Amino acid sequence: MKIFNKVIGVLVGASLLFGCAEDYLETMPTDAVSGDEVFNTTDGALVALNGTYRRMWTSTTHGQFGQKSTDLTFDLMGEDMVVHSQGYGWFNAEYNFSQTVNPGNGTRSDYLWSYNYIIANNASRLIANTPDAVGPQDDKDYIIGQGHVLRAYSYFYLANSFQQNVTIDPSAPGVPIYREPTSEGASRAPLSEVYAFINEDLDRGIALLEGKDRRHISHATAAVARGLKARVALQAGDYPAAAQYANAARQGLGLMNPDQYNAGFSKYNPEWMWGLEIIDDQATIFASFFSHLDPIILSYASLGGQKKINTNLYSYMSDTDARKANFITPGTGAGTTPDYASIKFVVANPGSWDADYLLMRASEMYLIEAEALARTGQDGPAADLLNELVSARDAAYSFSGAGQALIDEILIQRRIELWGEGFRYLDIKRLDLGLDRTGTIHNPALAQIMELPARDNMWIFRIPLREIDANDNIGMSDQN
Amino acid sequence: MRKVLLLGFMLLFAATSVFAQGRVISGTVASDEDGETIPGASVLVKGTSVGVATDMDGRFTLTLPENANYLVISAMGFETQELEIGNRSSFEINLSSGMANLDEVVVQAPYGSLPKTAFTGSEATVSRRGLEKQQVTSFTRALEGLVPGIQATSGSGPGSNAAIRVRGFGSVNASNAPLYVLDGVPFTGSLNSISNDDIETVTVLKDAAAAALYGARAANGVIMITTRRGKKGRPQVNVNLRTGMMNRFVPEYERVGERDYYELMWEGTRNALVNRSGMSPADAGVSASNNLVGNLGGYNAYNVPNAELVNPQTGQLNPAAQLRYSDSWSDEVFRTATRNDFSLNASGAVEKADYYFSMGYIKEEGITKFSDFDRFNMRLNVNSELASWLKGGINVAGAMTEQANLTSGGTATINPFFYTRNMGPIYPIWLRDEAGGIINDPATGGPAYDWGDGVMGVRPYAANSNILGSLSLDNRSAKIFNASANTFLEARFLKDFTLRTTLGSNFFNSNGTTYQNSQFGDAANVTGRSTKNNNRQLTFTFNQVLNYQKKFGEHFISALAGHENYSFEQNFVSTTRTGFPFPGNSELAPAANLTGGTSYTNLHRIESYFSSINYNFRERYLLSASIRRDGSSRFATESRWGNFWSLGAGWRLTEEAWFRDKRWLDELKFKVSYGEQGNEGILNPNGSANYFAYQSFYGLGFNNFVYPGAVISSLENRSLNWEKNQTFNMGFDFGINQKLEGTIEVFQRNSTDLLFDVPLPASTGISSITSNVGRMRNRGIELNLGWNAIRTMDFDYRIDLNLTHFTNVITELPQEEIIQDSKNLQVGKSLYEFWIREYAGVDPDNGDALYYKNIMNEEGDPSGDRETTNVLAEADRYFQGSSIPDLIGGLTNSFRYKNLELSVLTSFQVGGLFLDNQYSRLMHPGNYGSAMHVDILNRWQQPGDVTDVPRLENASPNMNGISSRFLIDASYVNIRNITLGYKLPNVTANRLGIRGGVKVFGSVDNALLFSQRSGMDPQTAFDGVNDAVFPPYRTFTLGLNVNL
Repeated sequence: MKIFNKVIGVLVGASLLFGCAEDYLETMPTDAVSGDEVFNTTDGALVALNGTYRRMWTSTTHGQFGQKSTDLTFDLMGEDMVVHSQGYGWFNAEYNFSQTVNPGNGTRSDYLWSYNYIIANNASRLIANTPDAVGPQDDKDYIIGQGHVLRAYSYFYLANSFQQNVTIDPSAPGVPIYREPTSEGASRAPLSEVYAFINEDLDRGIALLEGKDRRHISHATAAVARGLKARVALQAGDYPAAAQYANAARQGLGLMNPDQYNAGFSKYNPEWMWGLEIIDDQATIFASFFSHLDPIILSYASLGGQKKINTNLYSYMSDTDARKANFITPGTGAGTTPDYASIKFVVANPGSWDADYLLMRASEMYLIEAEALARTGQDGPAADLLNELVSARDAAYSFSGAGQALIDEILIQRRIELWGEGFRYLDIKRLDLGLDRTGTIHNPALAQIMELPARDNMWIFRIPLREIDANDNIGMSDQN
Repeated sequence: MRKVLLLGFMLLFAATSVFAQGRVISGTVASDEDGETIPGASVLVKGTSVGVATDMDGRFTLTLPENANYLVISAMGFETQELEIGNRSSFEINLSSGMANLDEVVVQAPYGSLPKTAFTGSEATVSRRGLEKQQVTSFTRALEGLVPGIQATSGSGPGSNAAIRVRGFGSVNASNAPLYVLDGVPFTGSLNSISNDDIETVTVLKDAAAAALYGARAANGVIMITTRRGKKGRPQVNVNLRTGMMNRFVPEYERVGERDYYELMWEGTRNALVNRSGMSPADAGVSASNNLVGNLGGYNAYNVPNAELVNPQTGQLNPAAQLRYSDSWSDEVFRTATRNDFSLNASGAVEKADYYFSMGYIKEEGITKFSDFDRFNMRLNVNSELASWLKGGINVAGAMTEQANLTSGGTATINPFFYTRNMGPIYPIWLRDEAGGIINDPATGGPAYDWGDGVMGVRPYAANSNILGSLSLDNRSAKIFNASANTFLEARFLKDFTLRTTLGSNFFNSNGTTYQNSQFGDAANVTGRSTKNNNRQLTFTFNQVLNYQKKFGEHFISALAGHENYSFEQNFVSTTRTGFPFPGNSELAPAANLTGGTSYTNLHRIESYFSSINYNFRERYLLSASIRRDGSSRFATESRWGNFWSLGAGWRLTEEAWFRDKRWLDELKFKVSYGEQGNEGILNPNGSANYFAYQSFYGLGFNNFVYPGAVISSLENRSLNWEKNQTFNMGFDFGINQKLEGTIEVFQRNSTDLLFDVPLPASTGISSITSNVGRMRNRGIELNLGWNAIRTMDFDYRIDLNLTHFTNVITELPQEEIIQDSKNLQVGKSLYEFWIREYAGVDPDNGDALYYKNIMNEEGDPSGDRETTNVLAEADRYFQGSSIPDLIGGLTNSFRYKNLELSVLTSFQVGGLFLDNQYSRLMHPGNYGSAMHVDILNRWQQPGDVTDVPRLENASPNMNGISSRFLIDASYVNIRNITLGYKLPNVTANRLGIRGGVKVFGSVDNALLFSQRSGMDPQTAFDGVNDAVFPPYRTFTLGLNVNL
């Protein structure tokens, strides 16, 4: 019996020496899914599309929260947005231009580059992988079309951040172009090629998205693609195209009434063409656009980082202008809302961070079209458009100038209407203006750069060092 | 048996001589380790055959023969002792197990143990005796200074673990942490759940011969923890009572007070107005005086009007000014904490079984308010001989921990260490009235906090916050349960074979709360935010090991072969809600809004086959070999299997016939080993384990409104594989005349196929891919010495010294350089080579901080010549040296006078650089609201001043940027432990009815630190960069140990 026991024991033990089943070592994560699986079906591809939109407001630091942190940077580098005080320090370095010349990790240069390329890469994967997914062709077009629009959008911001305006030297080195997903770095393509690539993508987007119903305000439509075509054309000085696409893009859209205009720009309304709808559990709290702009709630803006309007711009608005109410009337400032502080962007429900991000609205189209028409000698239609837009804000408004006066008026109305929406840096560059922060309320100790000539090298961001280190086709000599 | 007979005979012989001689001596023999008396010890008069054996209680009585001068006392397992008889008649003899007979020393090795004499590898063992002196909650904090070849961080916060590195740094992006093995089973639980009182030994396995049998996880060394088991003899019951106090060990940096602060801020403002806004000095002075208090947020700590606080001409504080209040945030947040540590254990053995069980309780308060750690732990170890051929046993342990945590590290205003360090001295904790009196909060009746939100003023640093107010209302805590159970069955068959199967499991569960209060601070605008998370980790190890041991004449063979499965599963769930209607309740039920929720599962599995063989001839020539084949779920099917192996050889010269007559040499062993171990510890950039690095993924959770979303997160690399360490070790073990013992070893670790996050161009949209590229080498020498300097009846003095020197060098990289913050990885440089701007001092003419920059040649490349610049952004970065020290070591001095024992443990480091970021922040040129270091008083003030501190200039970006100015020598000496113990004479103890012994002690852990700068903790991190973290603390302890 004893011997028998021993033999059994040994046999049982020995049998355990054999390995486990083959799949014992096959493990998969649960918070991620393989790329192949995502693109098995168009439903899966739609998940990748929605993820790309979410990435547009995902935060990595309290100063880096996707597209709107780019937009905020672009306003802070102009003269129209004034920073009240140092506050917690976020965006001070953008405001004083020290971030443009810093190519280190985690800087604004680094973020503008890597963030836009992350969006572009996700878009390229949508374009490359969706055709083989199982599902209706309409769905494929819907997804691929938006992939093209998103990629064009990213390249537009890349092209403008890392080189002077395309109108100055189209052959100047722009940014690397990637048509397909890859891990091989490319060299800087000339700006003209980057712009051609952007337009090609937008044209593809328009063709694929034409007639498709949008499923959510965040999803780019053919109208959004046309709006971007107009924005791109304006930047490139192609005024006929700008006028044509802006006009097409705004068809069927109304303008906000004064109540809607003063409601905080945090809930999308019929004027919005494109926006990101951010619900409470997807909000990024202090690391958000509203944290830096809304001084009423507890936010970085209320802790010293209030954004104020250039007093000259403020004075330009007549007292009947509804837009004036978006800034604290001088002499009435108190507490966290000092004189001239912006309350244009405020969360809809204090106590909650749900607040939508605006990406494009009809007024921009009016302004692009008006400017483009005025610059191509069509002063009458241009003035009509300007009056239609501004009188929606200020019933008493009427402008009857022409020629340069008309263009100047359109441009100043553009600064007022689109204050805080991310256009000033783009406009200063395309209009070859340079920076002049004097004569208003910029604090030199904070702004540091009070004047900067047009085309100064500080207008363009540095290529991140880590790109130069890892990309065989970009060297130190390619640095801005 | 023969011994007993001999002793009996001697006893008889001694008895007969009683008549001849008169003097009778008596005494007790006990172990100096636990005070336990030793029965059966031999007490012999030197040079005679007169002697006795001690009785069951360790007592002896002996009649001395003529010319008796010395006694020789010996016992199994103890070092033999000789002492002078003199004219005393009562002896209390303590035998040391410190240098026991070599043949009896056993080394804990993978899947079993080996006699030290047969061991060819490199190891270091810390015994219970070494651990028990240090009053630390986690054993990881007790190893530094005791074990050659290891470096440890100082740990952070109550109950925390130290990070340990064995023989340098083997990996760039993967884990550098050693594998912990608890009672033979790889341990994944919390290290601070193991009670130090339960530990018999901690063995650090350092080379291939020692560790390679753990294959894929052995590359960074293995630390084996062996818990206690019962011994034959009288059952033991030990009671340990320890109570202590703790305070701050590394003090706060020395910072300026109110008067200096206002004057310095005035000067910074004036200089900025002069130098950047072009004002005349006189106008600037007036403006600076007028705006001083306003610039500082409206805070005037003095009783004179704001504009009259500082004289606009001289910059001096108004002599009439009297302080209205003076609060110290540090003093208020830090406290003298208490520590109580009680444990009880019982052990013994009956005929066919041994047992050990214990329970313990530790409560360790943090030296800051709102932080503490408390733990209940229990353990049961039982081994039993079930049949003549079958053995079995189980070790079960559980620990319940509750800890209140603080945010440690980073610049968030909720980090009390950053907050109290950087808060300007003029900001009050409590609201003050005009006269400076504290204003009470009508709601609580107690003092009202100043939140810096506009009531008194808006602080430029950390507005709308009050660290004391926030912490008193917030809750950051975790309840952790850790249980482990290891059980085995071992069958013996065919005489020389055993088959042992072990099932080891560990269950870790942490239930965490992060609650930000609803009334004040960051979450006030959403009326409170609470996150509850649950992290459950279950680990199984199941192995079967076949063992063979045989002695053929003078040949001895021991071999094993086995198979092992390892499985780890982690389930994480977390939910966040906001909108808390009632303060003080952090539970989610009452909260209004769901603002976040997620869960995920991680799996990690390893399957292994292994075998090893040890051979020796006459214990003179030793050979060992091992091989292990591991398959890991971390790698793709075709790449996941790897082979790891070792070869070792030893030659015990003292066993050679021609060496035998050199009796002074107890032991001389030459040993050499070589082998390859693996590392699969891939990490995410945030330091958490990455179990799926080879796969290409879309990261989930990127939901857009109600639509699920995902973005590409990683690229596929199916060839991803183990990081490998080729480890070479060579050295001598020696023992001389029972006086000196030691080991000297040289080692080399070549890390190849480094698990590297190879940077990809950011423009491709993915910033890195994990690949096997690059090589690194650690090479070094270790010395470990123990010297019994004095050994007499009444006085012992022993010195233990260990020294380690190593170099770390990168030998291959995927690209020319990889810049990681303040470091730059390049071939030929170490892993932690500082690459920062080089400070060129202060321009005596204008007080500018100067930095070096390259002069470019015509091609636009550096010409090799340098010039200085006063623009920080233009400064170039240069290599400035490494954080890796030239020498690390530990020194223990142990004294015993009669029953009084004193030991002093010192650890030290020579060389290595430290980038003192915390200091650099305090050396700002006048940022409103932030505290300043007293060194700022040496600033440049007027042309001609020669100093290395540049002028103050508010908001200047050029003055205190990270540069070589903030590098400092990291050498230190730390008096880590002083213990003074007294053992009650056995006679006295016996009279109290205590048979084992009674010891009382007092100790200080982290007694004194000598370093280059007060405030800086040179041991905070291996990479030589500091953060605002929980500072290490000093512990004063009084203890009582009773062995019933």
